[in-house]
Amino acid sequence: MDVRSQVSMVFHLDKCIGCHTCSIACKNVWTDRQGTEYMWWNNVETKPGTGFPTAWEDQEKYQGGWELKKGELKLKSTGPAKVMANIFHNPHQPSMDDYYEPWTYDYETLFDAPEGDDQPVARPVSRVTGEYMEVEAGPNWDDDLGGSEIYAANDPNLDALTEEQRQQLSAVERLVMFYFPRICNHCLNPSCVASCPSGALYKRGEDGIVLIDQKRCRAWRSCIAACPYKKTYYNWQTGKSEKCILCYPRLETGQAPACFHSCVGRIRYLGVLLYDAERIEEVAKLPDDEIVEGQRSMILDPRDPEVVAAAKANGIPDDVIESACKSPVYRFVKEWKIALPPHLEFRTLPMLFYVPPMSPVMAGKDGDSVYHLTDNNLFHDIDQSRVPISYLAKLLGAGNEGLVRYALRKQKAVRLYRRALTVGDVDDASAARALREADCTVEEAEAIYRLTTLCTFDDRFVIPPMHREEAIQMIEEPHGHRQSVGFGFTAGPKRGL
Amino acid sequence: MKTACRFGVVLGLAVLILGARVTVAQEAVETFRQSCISCHTIGGGRLVGPDLKNVEERQDREWLASFILDPLGVINSGDPYAVKLREEAGGALMTTIPGMSRSQAEALLDLIAAESLLETSEFAGLDLGDEPFTALDIERGEEIFMGRRKLANGGPACLSCHTVGGLPELSGGTLGPDLSRVFERLQGRKNLASWLLAPATETMRPVFAGRAMTQDEIVPLVAFFEDAAQQRSEDGGTSRLLFLLLGLGGAAFGFLLADGIWRGRFRGVRQELVGNRR
Repeated sequence: MDVRSQVSMVFHLDKCIGCHTCSIACKNVWTDRQGTEYMWWNNVETKPGTGFPTAWEDQEKYQGGWELKKGELKLKSTGPAKVMANIFHNPHQPSMDDYYEPWTYDYETLFDAPEGDDQPVARPVSRVTGEYMEVEAGPNWDDDLGGSEIYAANDPNLDALTEEQRQQLSAVERLVMFYFPRICNHCLNPSCVASCPSGALYKRGEDGIVLIDQKRCRAWRSCIAACPYKKTYYNWQTGKSEKCILCYPRLETGQAPACFHSCVGRIRYLGVLLYDAERIEEVAKLPDDEIVEGQRSMILDPRDPEVVAAAKANGIPDDVIESACKSPVYRFVKEWKIALPPHLEFRTLPMLFYVPPMSPVMAGKDGDSVYHLTDNNLFHDIDQSRVPISYLAKLLGAGNEGLVRYALRKQKAVRLYRRALTVGDVDDASAARALREADCTVEEAEAIYRLTTLCTFDDRFVIPPMHREEAIQMIEEPHGHRQSVGFGFTAGPKRGL
Repeated sequence: MKTACRFGVVLGLAVLILGARVTVAQEAVETFRQSCISCHTIGGGRLVGPDLKNVEERQDREWLASFILDPLGVINSGDPYAVKLREEAGGALMTTIPGMSRSQAEALLDLIAAESLLETSEFAGLDLGDEPFTALDIERGEEIFMGRRKLANGGPACLSCHTVGGLPELSGGTLGPDLSRVFERLQGRKNLASWLLAPATETMRPVFAGRAMTQDEIVPLVAFFEDAAQQRSEDGGTSRLLFLLLGLGGAAFGFLLADGIWRGRFRGVRQELVGNRR
C-alpha cells in the first residue's frame, strides 16, 4: 500500500444555478493577463450542450485521454511514432474557433459618436488582433440552450440515448437542462503529465495538484491534445501552457480556491482524500463497467489503523490524516456513494466528483389547476427523469446507469425523509421505505441533508494544512516577491527559456 | 658552473629563435603554395601575375609588403607601377590573403628572395608543353570534372559548383562560373594548370586547402578544358527558368502530397457543426 494524499473536490450539480460567478472569480484572479483572455480555467456549461471548447468530450476528434491497447494503457494523442511525425505541429488541438476569439467592446463610440439618426453602439473588438470583429461564438455560447439548437443536438453524450429519447429531449414540454461547472480534475493518472516531452507538468506530491512548470514548458502543446477535458491552455503571449492551479497559493494560506469561495449555490466541497497509489495502473486498466467502483476502492478509509500507519510511513503529516477524517469529499464519494467522476472512461482517474442533478418535477396544467404528472404526486420516478439516466451515466458513470440511479434514488429518499419531517404530506412509513430502498439509514439521510443544505464554510472546505514550511526551499525569497507577482512561483511567466 | 649556465640559456634561446624562424619559414612556404602559385611563379615565367624571381630588384621591400597586404589600396593611391601591374594582368586584381600580417608578408618576401637564388625553384610552375592532348586525357578530364573519378586528396568534383557547355539539364552547379571558356579566360595551359594547383579565390581556397589536386589530375582537367573551349558551346547545364519552374512544381506537388496523406487531419469542430447547418 502506497498511501498518498490528494486534495479532491465535489460539485453538487443539484444545487448549481449556472450563474458563472465561479468563472468570473477565477478569471479575475488568474486569467486577466494578455494571452490568457480566452482561457477559462473554470467554466460552466449547459447540458445538453457541446461545452467549451466545442464538443470537448468527443475524443474521436480531440484524441484526449488514454486508451487500452492490448492490455496496455496508451495515450490516444501521442506515442513514440506520432511524436516524431507531429514534432513541428500537434494536430489535435482545439483551434481558436473551437474556443472562441476573445473580444471586448469599443465603448468610446458610445460617448464620441457624432449625432445621428441611430443610437451609437459599442462594436466588438478582438482582444487578439485589436480589429473590429463579428462575434460568432463565445465560451458559453450555448448557455441555457441558447445560441442555436445545433449545440445541444451535438452533445457527444447524446450518443447514449435512443432516437426516441433524443426526440423527447427537444420537445418543448420536456425540454430540460442542467449546469455542469468544470475545473481541472487534478487526475490521479493525468494524461497531460504523461504526454509532456519537456517534463514540465507534474503532480505535487503533498496534495496531488497538477501544475505546469512555467520555466520548463517548451510549448509543445502535447498536454492540450492529451487532456481529454481540455483544461490546459496555451498562452500565446508567454509561449507556455497554463492550467487551473486549484488556487494553491490560497490553499496554502488556508483559504478555499476562488471559484469555491465565491460559489453562490454553495455547490462546491473540498477536502483531502487518502488513496493507494500502487493501484493506479491496475484501476485505470479496468473495463468501463468496473472502473468507477475500482476508483472508489482506491480511496482509503483515513480511520483504518492500517491505512494510518502506511500514511505515516509515507511521510503524510498527522494533521493531514486528521483532516482526511473530516473530508466532506470522502463522505460524498465513499460513504454515501452519491458523487461520481466525470467521464472515467478517459481513464485519467479524475479527482473531481459530481453529485448528479435531480430533474425538475414534471407537472401539467388542466384549466386553472396545476397537477403533477407523476404517480405519487410529489416526485417522479427516477427512471422517468426528464434527463435520461443513460445521459447522466454517459457523463458521470462511464456508462454505468446503476451507479447514477443509486445516487439519484438516495437523493430522492433524503427529500422524502425531510418532507415527512418538516411538511408532513409524506407519511413516515413511505419515507422509511424510500430510505430503505435507497440503501440509506436515517442518520445518513440526516447527514446528507445537513451537508447539502445547512453547510457552513468550514463544513464545505476542509483544507488540510499544507506544511509550506517543509517546502520553503522552493520559494527562496517569498517576502522579496510579495504582492509583486500573481501567477508563477517567484517570477511572472514570460516567453523564453 | 656560471658559464655553463649562461651557455645553456644562450643555447636555449638560439633553439627557440631558430625554431621560431623555421616555423615562420614553413608557414611562408605553405602560404605561397596555397595562395600565390595560382598566379605567380618564381623563375617559371609570367602567368596571370608576373614572375616573382628577383622581384626585389624591381621594387623595394617596403612597397612590396604593402602591396601584398592591400593591393587595391596601393592601386587606388594612384601608384603608377601598381597601375601598370594591373594592366599587365589584364585587369585582374591580386587577391588578399585573409589573416596576412606585415611579418608574414616579410616572410613571404624572404622566401621569394631565397628561392630566387636557386637554379630551379620548386615554384617554377607546371610546364605542360605544346603537344596536343590525347583523347584519353580529355576523357579522363571529363570523368574528373563530372565526379566519376574521385580526386586523390578528397577535393570535391568540379561539377558540384561549376558547369560546362553541353551537359544535360539539371546537372552542373551554378555557384561557380561556367567553365566552358575558362581555358581562354586564363590564357592557356600554363596559367590554367597553375591555377588548378592551388585555386586562390575566396570560395575555392578553403575548399581545396589541404586537398590540393595532383599533377595527374590537373593535366587531364586542362586537356578537358582546352577541348571544351574548342568544342563546346557556352550554355551549360541548367536554364534558370526551368530550374525555377521545377522548384515551384515540386513544392506544389509536396503540398498536395501532404494534403493527401493527412486527409483526415483535425480541422476544427465548431465550424464544421455550424457550417453543416447553414
